[in-house]
Amino acid sequence: MKMALTVFRKEMLDSLRDYRTLMVMILIPLLLFPALLMISTRFVVAHERKSWEKTIRLGLDTNGNAEDFRQKLLKREDIRVYEGYRLHEIHVLIQKDSLDGYIEFEPDFDRKMRELAPGRVGVYFRSTEERDIMKKRLLMLLDEYEADLRRDRLRRMHIDETILEVIRLNEWNIATPKERLAGALGGFLPYLFIIFCFMGSMYPAIDLAAGEKERGTLETLLTSPVRKMDILMGKFGVITLTGVFSALVSILGLYIGIRQSRDIPREILDVVVHLLEWRSIGLLLSLLIPLTTFFAGCQLAMSIAAKSFKEAQNMITPLMLVVIIPAFIGLLPGMRLQSGNAWIPVLNVSLATKAIMGDHITFGLFAEVYASLILLAVLGVWSCSVLFDRESLLYASG
Amino acid sequence: MVMIEVRDLKKTFRAGRQQRRQPGRGRGEKYIRAVDGITFRCEPGRIFTLLGPNGAGKTTTLRLIATLLKPVSGSIHIDGIDVVRDPMAARRKLGFLTGSTRLYDRLTPHELVKYYADLHRVDRAVFRKRRDDLFSMLDMHEFAHTRIGKLSTGMKQKVSIARTMIHDPQVMVFDEPTVGLDVITSRAIVTLIRQVRDEGKTVIFSTHIMGEVSRLSDDLAVLHRGRLCYNGTYADFAGRMQSATLEEEFIRVLQETDV
Repeated sequence: MKMALTVFRKEMLDSLRDYRTLMVMILIPLLLFPALLMISTRFVVAHERKSWEKTIRLGLDTNGNAEDFRQKLLKREDIRVYEGYRLHEIHVLIQKDSLDGYIEFEPDFDRKMRELAPGRVGVYFRSTEERDIMKKRLLMLLDEYEADLRRDRLRRMHIDETILEVIRLNEWNIATPKERLAGALGGFLPYLFIIFCFMGSMYPAIDLAAGEKERGTLETLLTSPVRKMDILMGKFGVITLTGVFSALVSILGLYIGIRQSRDIPREILDVVVHLLEWRSIGLLLSLLIPLTTFFAGCQLAMSIAAKSFKEAQNMITPLMLVVIIPAFIGLLPGMRLQSGNAWIPVLNVSLATKAIMGDHITFGLFAEVYASLILLAVLGVWSCSVLFDRESLLYASG
Repeated sequence: MVMIEVRDLKKTFRAGRQQRRQPGRGRGEKYIRAVDGITFRCEPGRIFTLLGPNGAGKTTTLRLIATLLKPVSGSIHIDGIDVVRDPMAARRKLGFLTGSTRLYDRLTPHELVKYYADLHRVDRAVFRKRRDDLFSMLDMHEFAHTRIGKLSTGMKQKVSIARTMIHDPQVMVFDEPTVGLDVITSRAIVTLIRQVRDEGKTVIFSTHIMGEVSRLSDDLAVLHRGRLCYNGTYADFAGRMQSATLEEEFIRVLQETDV
């Protein structure tokens, strides 16, 4: 054990002096998120503001109907009305972005209104997104006009408007803020720290096995009176620690990013504050350690099996996909931690984190997740020790 | 007294695809005999040289002695310790140095030497004295706290030597220690090997440089294709030479073995 500590201390010092490890472990998670969050929120907010403030270039053909609607549009400063176009021209103009939209009333619209029948209005726009602001603004124009017409009809029929209001809905969400926030951010957070946990431990794993083999330092180390298991455990400790540290720094980076960004809603700010409760942190950390040990086991085994640093990189990098997919599945709505999926690595951590944040984790499920991760971590260590005993893998030449 | 005793040592490696396709190899030969039944002894206060061309099995033999590899059969004893049965005890008596300097670039010479002293469980006070002695002997004080990555090849080789000797090993194993070094550093290494021998330690080193053989060897073993072509004292080898130069004699011995 003392020797494993000696190896650990040296490997830690060596890794902390490696700028590539520091980049992946500290700089990227710490700076990337604040930067990404600030840039993306600023971009989204600016884009939305621009879309709301932009003058709508609207093609209009009332076919001699809805004069009140036409006059209303002509008076508005945020709308420029273009008339006289035919429908076949409109498709091209909208495609070319010369017009933002087109509204067409059917020829006998006014007659239908008088007869209290439904009138047909066509709206043309080009939208590839569900939440397109331009589309929303076009539909709002018609919604407002429809409300005016409805009011007018009811007045003509001497009917009180409130008669249409059958249910007056009062919504009371009794979910705690933490539960609501778990739904909003609960999926994203484990996705984030699982990735950083993997990335943070990846580079030291490659450097401490394949890198050392390539540089030839492993050979001299193995001539020292130290058991291979001690060497392995020393390296393992560093890889696991860097992974855990990287994941924690990524959460800190996210927190800083959210705090620094003025455009982020208060709700999300609350999520982070709630997340930073000692109990949640403790539970997350207790999941992170076996998860990183499992990652470290896989990565170190591959690194030992690789002949060179580059080969190890080529072997381990695709493994990221294997990690991302179950982490992503955990993001899907409706996915909850259950007895079956509690044994699937990565997915179980993703779902357990959601459950921890939502305060609905049970001891039984948590124990299952833990047992699965510890089992896999032990398997990882065992496979490394088997590979570490193989001469053909340790020495490049005979 | 015998410090290293090697008996009927054999080591094979699994042949790679390309090696299996090499001309002259039988189709069914899946293994390469890197060391094929060699026997020799090394005594304290003497330099034992392993001479042979590339691929003769020199590095494999030294790696077997240094416990990095396990033999297929045969035995190696260092100061009476069976290296297969008790590799940890054997490693405590060994210092292993290779030609290509193999060090951690991000550590300083002081940190590296301290690391190896810790691995060898050298007492702190003893470490300090040995470190100071070695750093003085190798003139290393000036760059003791500079990162190894920033040092010249010669300086790195000095660090390698200090690392190898920090635990005061009884047996020094040098695998082609002067490969790739300039004349001045090579000479320093040769001087060091002599010095170590004069201190009564056992030195075994491999080379294919004839000048080093004549300058250093007390005992000599010529290896070719994993087998010993000659094993005796260097004086005896030189005295029985049938060729004009050592190099020609070496080639003659190899050709004789091939026949």
